[in-house]
Amino acid sequence: MMASNDVLLKVERLKTYYPIKGGFLRRTIGFVKAVDDVSFEIKSGETLGLVGESGCGKSTTGRTILRLLNPTDGSITFDGKDITFLKGKELRKMRKHFQMVFQDPYASLNPMQMVGDIISEPIRNYTGRSMKEVKEEVFDLLEKVGLPPDAYYQYAHQFSGGQRQRIGIARALALKPKLVVADEPVSALDVSVQSQVLNLLKELQKEFSLTYLFIAHDLSVVKHMSDRIGVMYLGNLVEIADKNSLYAHPFHPYTQALISAIPTPDPHKKKERIVLQGDVPNPINPPKGCPFHTRCPVVKAECKEVKPVLKEVRAGHQVACHLY
Amino acid sequence: MEVVTNKNDAERKIASQSNHSPWALARKKFIRNKLAMVSLSFLMLLSLLSILAPYILNVDIARVDFLNINLPPSSEHWFGTDSNGRDVFARTLYGGRVSLLIGLASTLCVTLIGTIIGAIAGYVGGKIDQFLMRLTDFVLTFPFTVFVVVLNTILIGKVSGVWTLIMVISLLSWGGTARIVRSKILAEKENEYILAAISVGCSPFKVIAKHLLPNVASTIIVQASLLMAVMIVVESSLSFIGFGVPADTPSWGNMLSEARNSDVLQNKPWIWVPPCLAITFTILSINFVGEGLKDAFNPKSNR
Ligand SMILES: Nc1ncnc2c1ncn2[C@@H]1O[C@H](COP(=O)(O)OP(=O)(O)O)[C@@H](O)[C@H]1O
Ligand code: SF4
Ligand SMILES: [Mg+2]
Repeated sequence: MMASNDVLLKVERLKTYYPIKGGFLRRTIGFVKAVDDVSFEIKSGETLGLVGESGCGKSTTGRTILRLLNPTDGSITFDGKDITFLKGKELRKMRKHFQMVFQDPYASLNPMQMVGDIISEPIRNYTGRSMKEVKEEVFDLLEKVGLPPDAYYQYAHQFSGGQRQRIGIARALALKPKLVVADEPVSALDVSVQSQVLNLLKELQKEFSLTYLFIAHDLSVVKHMSDRIGVMYLGNLVEIADKNSLYAHPFHPYTQALISAIPTPDPHKKKERIVLQGDVPNPINPPKGCPFHTRCPVVKAECKEVKPVLKEVRAGHQVACHLY
Repeated sequence: MEVVTNKNDAERKIASQSNHSPWALARKKFIRNKLAMVSLSFLMLLSLLSILAPYILNVDIARVDFLNINLPPSSEHWFGTDSNGRDVFARTLYGGRVSLLIGLASTLCVTLIGTIIGAIAGYVGGKIDQFLMRLTDFVLTFPFTVFVVVLNTILIGKVSGVWTLIMVISLLSWGGTARIVRSKILAEKENEYILAAISVGCSPFKVIAKHLLPNVASTIIVQASLLMAVMIVVESSLSFIGFGVPADTPSWGNMLSEARNSDVLQNKPWIWVPPCLAITFTILSINFVGEGLKDAFNPKSNR
C-alpha cells in the first residue's frame, strides 16, 4: 500500500478510564484503566494494525479515537484538527470523516431497520436527502461490498454473519470517510468467510483510498492486513514498528512471546516458544512500573518502579521497555 | 460471496417474496394466536357497541322513571332496570364508553409520559438520570388513592369529571412504565448498533426515537396493554367507593356501586351482574391480548 507522508491521525498519551460505580448513592469508587498510555500516528493511506490479548483495551482505544467514548487524558488530532474534546454538533460534523466497522455482526445492525435504511442513513444524516434520492448510491454500495440488490429490502436477521459484516462495511463507507477503524471485523466469523471479508476490506481500501486502523487479537490476521503494527498490553502500547521489522526483530519481551506462539508451517525450523507465566493483571489496579513486569521473563529491579516510555530503537521502530 | 447453505437459500427465496420486517413477523404470529384474536375481537365489538350506543339505542339513560324501578329482565328491558328505573342494558353500553375511554386515555398518557421520562433517563444517564429517577420514586411512593380522593373532591364541579380523573390517574401512574423503559433502554443501548448510529451522525434525539424506541417498543406495548386492564380496575374501584366518575355519569364502576346496597346485592343481581361481567371479560380479554403480544414479539416462541 502506498502511504503518503501526511499524518492523518495522531494520538498522544491517550488514557480512557471507565468509572466503577458502587456503594451508597452509586458514587465512583474506582476506574478500569482500559487505555492507560497509548501514542501513535497513522499516515494517510496506510493500515496500522493493533494487536493484543482480549481485554487489553484495543476496542476502547478504537472507540475513543472515533470519539464514541470520551478520553480521560491525552490528545487526538485528526487531519490536523484537535478532536479530543469536541462535543455536540461540532463533533457530529467531524464524524463523517471517520467511521467504524464493528466486531459483532449481530449486535451492530439495528434489527428493526431495513438494510437500505441502514446503509443510506449516514448519507441522509449529512445531506438531508430522502431515502428515494440516495437509493442509487445504496445499490452501488451493495454491489461494491458484494451483496445482491434485493438485500436493500431485507432485514439483518435474514443474513449470515459474513453478509452482515458486509452490510456494516457498506454503512461505514457510505460517507466516503478518510479513516476507518475496523475492530476485529472477522473474529466473529467462520474461518471460511474470514479471508473473503479481509480481501474485501483490502480492495475497498484501494478503491476509496482509505486509511485503516485494523484491530485484531490474532497476529496472523494483522500481518496480512497491515503496513505497520502496534502491540498493546494492559492498556499500554508497548511496541510499534513496520510490519517486517516487528516480525524480524521483536524487541519487547511481550511481542517476542506473541511471535514465538505463532505456529510455523515448517516443522524443521522449530522456534523456541516462550510461554508466559501468570495472568494478565486487573486493569482496575495495574502494577506499578512496567505493566508487563509481573510476567516478564527478563524483568529487572528498575521495571518494578519506573514505567518505561516509548523510545525509538531503530528507524521507525519504537519500544517501551527498560532493556533498550 | 460466501457459501450459503441450502437452508439459507430457501430462506432467501421466501424472504424476497414476503415482508420480513420484525413488525410483520410479529403480526403474523399474533394472528395465529386464537385466544388473543378472539379476545381482540371481543374488545373491538364491545368498544364499537359502546361508541355507537347513543345511535343504536333509543333510550334516555339519564331519565329517572319511578314507575319502572328494579324491574327484572324482560323483552322490553333486556337486563332489567335499576333502582332509578333506568335500563341496565343501555347503561352497561354507555358505561363502557366511559370506562373504556378512561382505560384507554389514561394508558396512552401514562405510556407517553413514562416512555419519554424513562428513555431520557436511560439514554442520557448521569445527573439527569438521577433527577428523573428521584422524581419517579416520588411518584411511585405517592399515596395514590388518598391523593385521587382529595384532588377529585377539590376539582369536581370545576372541570369535567371524566377528564379530570384521566389526568389525575395519569399523572400519578407513569412511574412503573418509566422504570421499565429506563431499564430496557439501559440494556439496549449497550448494543453496537447504537454506537454505529452515533458514529454515522445521528443526533441524540434520533438515536432514541429511531434506534432505541423501536427496539424496546414490544416491551412498552405489552406493558401498556396490561396497564390498560389495571386502569379499568382503578376507574371501577374509585367509582365504586364514590370518588371516581361523577355519580350521574354511567360507568361500570358507578353501576357496580349500586351493589353496595345489600338488598340489590342479594336479590337484584340483574343490576350489578352485567357491569361486573363487562369488567371481568374486558380485563380477561385485555390480558389475553397482552400475553399474545408478548408471545408475538418474543423471537424464541413459535406459536
Ligand atoms: N463499558 C465498560 N465499563 C467498564 N469496563 C469496561 C467497559 N468496556 C470495557 N471494559 C474493560 O476495559 C478493558 C478493555 O476492554 P476492551 O477495550 O474491550 O478490550 P479489547 O477490545 O482489547 O478486548 C477490559 O478490562 C474490559 O473489561
Ligand atoms: S520494562 Fe522490564 S518488565 Fe517491562 S518488558 Fe521491559 S524488561 Fe520486562
Ligand atoms: Mg474488543
